[in-house]
Amino acid sequence: MSDKLKQIIDKQSEQQNLAIEHSDDIVQLVGFIIGEEEYAVPILTIQEIIKPIRWTRVPQTPAYVLGVFNLRGSVIPLIDLRLKFGLGAKKHNEETRFFVLKQGGEVAGFVIDRLTMAIRIKKSDIGPAPDTMAGDDSMIDGVGKQDDRILTILKVNKLLERDF
Amino acid sequence: MDEFQEILQDFLVESFELVEKLDEDLVELESNPEDLELLNGIFRVAHTVKGASSFLNFDVLTHLTHHMEDVLNKARHGELVITPDIMDVILESVDLMKTLLEKIRDTSEDSGIDVSACVARLDKVSGGTGEVQTPVSDAPIEQESVVEEELTEDEDEPDYENMDPDEIEAEIERLLQQRQEEDKAKREAKIAAGESVPAPPPSPDEVAQEQEEPKEEVEAESKPVPLTPTPAPVKKEEPVKSDVKAAAPAKRAPAAVEQTIRVDVKRLDHLMNLIGELVLAKNRLIKINDDVEERYEGEEFLEELNQVVSIVSLVTTDLQIAVMKTRMLPIGKVFNKFPRMIRDLSRELDKKIELVISGEETELDKSIVEEIGDPLVHIIRNSCDHGIEMPDERLAKGKPETGTISLKAYNEGNAIVIQIDDDGKGLDVDMLKNKSLEKGIITEKEADTMSDKEAFGLIFKPGFSTAAAVTNVSGRGVGMDVVKTNIEKLNGIIDIESELGVGTSLKLKIPLTLAIIQALLVGVQEEHYAIPLASVLETVRISRDEIYTVENRSVMRLRDEVLSLVHIGDIFEVERILDSSEHAYVVVLGLGASKLGLIVDSLVGQEEIVIKSLGDYLKGIEGVAGATIRGDGGVTLIVDVVALMQMAKGVKSTAMTDNASQEEHSHEKTKADDYTVMIVDDSKTDRMIMRKALEPLGINLVEASDGQEALNILKQGEHNFDAMLIDIEMPRMDGYTLANEIKKYNRYKNLPLIAVTSRTGKSDRMRGVESGMVEYITKPYSGDYLSSVVQRNINFKSEFL
Repeated sequence: MSDKLKQIIDKQSEQQNLAIEHSDDIVQLVGFIIGEEEYAVPILTIQEIIKPIRWTRVPQTPAYVLGVFNLRGSVIPLIDLRLKFGLGAKKHNEETRFFVLKQGGEVAGFVIDRLTMAIRIKKSDIGPAPDTMAGDDSMIDGVGKQDDRILTILKVNKLLERDF
Repeated sequence: MDEFQEILQDFLVESFELVEKLDEDLVELESNPEDLELLNGIFRVAHTVKGASSFLNFDVLTHLTHHMEDVLNKARHGELVITPDIMDVILESVDLMKTLLEKIRDTSEDSGIDVSACVARLDKVSGGTGEVQTPVSDAPIEQESVVEEELTEDEDEPDYENMDPDEIEAEIERLLQQRQEEDKAKREAKIAAGESVPAPPPSPDEVAQEQEEPKEEVEAESKPVPLTPTPAPVKKEEPVKSDVKAAAPAKRAPAAVEQTIRVDVKRLDHLMNLIGELVLAKNRLIKINDDVEERYEGEEFLEELNQVVSIVSLVTTDLQIAVMKTRMLPIGKVFNKFPRMIRDLSRELDKKIELVISGEETELDKSIVEEIGDPLVHIIRNSCDHGIEMPDERLAKGKPETGTISLKAYNEGNAIVIQIDDDGKGLDVDMLKNKSLEKGIITEKEADTMSDKEAFGLIFKPGFSTAAAVTNVSGRGVGMDVVKTNIEKLNGIIDIESELGVGTSLKLKIPLTLAIIQALLVGVQEEHYAIPLASVLETVRISRDEIYTVENRSVMRLRDEVLSLVHIGDIFEVERILDSSEHAYVVVLGLGASKLGLIVDSLVGQEEIVIKSLGDYLKGIEGVAGATIRGDGGVTLIVDVVALMQMAKGVKSTAMTDNASQEEHSHEKTKADDYTVMIVDDSKTDRMIMRKALEPLGINLVEASDGQEALNILKQGEHNFDAMLIDIEMPRMDGYTLANEIKKYNRYKNLPLIAVTSRTGKSDRMRGVESGMVEYITKPYSGDYLSSVVQRNINFKSEFL
């Protein structure tokens, strides 16, 4: 009995060690859909994901800046990624979410069409952005391949950068 | 290093305070050169700064203050009479001292500023005696004794805080050395005598003791004290140093019982932010209370809730005021640099000017006090240079030789007013206009139509200057422009009154605080905006006929003024979906010296709002000063009145002009598909039946599955509807509510609404009429009947068929 227990404990700790060993090589992402494509951002840049709430339009901004909304007392800008990526506007539905991303002191909410899932992906499975899209101006950090899916990993600092 | 920084901060804060006081005292001293009390005070300031700066190794500052001290010391002992010339030198050195202190604040060092010229002048004043040139180290010793004599009355112990710490160290080291040698000699003697001597190292306490009482030691010096010949005590000087430092303020405390504490501004800011959150929560609570009241009218718990809500709101308001007060500083902090400035200016300009200050105890938020200094300097310079005439000119005009500038501050409601009056020559309207024309600031036409008040406002235009020549004091045409920008930044209002030959009066009206403000909430279409109440002069309701168009710009007559108008929707790109009514509200905005009428659709009310920034991503949006969170949790943008006034100039106002063409368009019907009818029903079958009945007419049909959707379609404004068929029972929004909502919009006031329902009760019909339905068709109905009702209501002409 105790032998068995020991075995189990050993096995568990082994697994843990394994996980720790591999944590360096694994990137955790959260995937979401905009239009037809699946995108992802690092999990740690996500402050929270909320259902759509009321927002206030801000004048003199590009169309993709929907306005600002109140997140527990903070006024946060809201950006529609569909419009930003050149897709047409779409009515918000049951699956629409606001992605609140945070990096450095910058916080902003992004409207996405649908959440997919949290993804663990090996670093080795992430390729660079296509040459035509690479460069400092590009919003794409890399392209992740998993099973039969292709994920476009976005640069959060680029998303949070004001470009108007 | 951190400890040093902390000491440095304390030093700077203390020094700046002292120097500020110094300026005031010196000017007073000039009028009362005999006032020994004053002289002693001034001397002590120089001395304290000297002591502290040498402790911190600011040699240049020490050098300067040392020489200042010399001159002041002579004056104190009656060896020197303070004449205006001597005072000039002293003031110059005070200025230099300030520059040095500022340099230290910015760079933590005082090198790079040449004080030798000033020091030489100080030396000359003190009689050119050789002693001034002596190095720092021995002069203070004489000073020390003087100070001691001075202070022995209130302190038994010698005044070490004024003693040069460097010197203390040197002294200690010297004493130690001396003693060590003596010790050594003695020990050798003892060793020679065959005795062994234990050598206990001195405890830090002992060393501190020595520090505290070097005088006694000097006496005790000759007595042999056993002491190890190790350099250890010298190394311990670090903690000892801070001991002395800590002891100094403690000693001072009993002299003037300290009733204040110094608090980091960051903490106060944080407190203010928290209060801001509380105010928002309070607003929300009040809103919820109102809703609950409406819903549960007459319930007993309501009264209790009411009480709690009012207590919370009362306490919040008090708390807010209390915290605001902790941030308040008396405006005297700004005012007290002006006596000195006036003195310098009057000497420079050869004018006789007296400054009368009142209301210096009036308090203002710290951030505002910091901003208000510069504008006041410019205004007062201006008054001295352009306002007050030369003495002979004044006498010729029958005015007293000495001109008076009075500076006063007082509270007026939620604002503070700073008024600067002079009895100088006043502003000449014609001259102002001519100058502006010359410099191309205004056109001839503008000059002709300009009122006196507007002409006075010209002095705030960049590039404008009434001075014939550029002097040291003013005339470059930047000063008053700075005044305007700074006051506007504070949401302040400038008002000028002037009478030629009698004087000018400038009033600056500034809100008390910046973080939490009173705002007027206005509505345009479906959006709300908050306008800082401080910038709102009044609101008026006008009808469309009162708006005139002059050169493509809308204006209105407001009493005896012509007010230019701009629609808030044009500034903030609000889509004009719903028609504005016959009447409009004009919010008259006043800022600096200019006015503007802002047309809005509705006035929502006055509310206390907390200014929140829009963050880096959206910062710098023209016309938006920030945002606030309302009682209902929504975000409302705050109008930046300064920017709005600028933007208004560029906007070709379309206020209330575009709807005429729209109406025309909707009235002209030439064929069947010019007509559009909306069908609102949650049942697809019912919609299909109605469609079948109406399709033969060839008109456009739009379908909506419930009230909400119908309303959205209306708001989008893509279609011009001629009638609506509305089912009563629908999810989300029923037919009655929909009808009520539609009637709220002016544009749809006359849109025929036809109820199509299976409800046949009389009360249902009544409700239908109340909510504005014109017809009531009960299901089931014949297709022909429906068609005829619709045709009748949209004035369908049979020839289109």
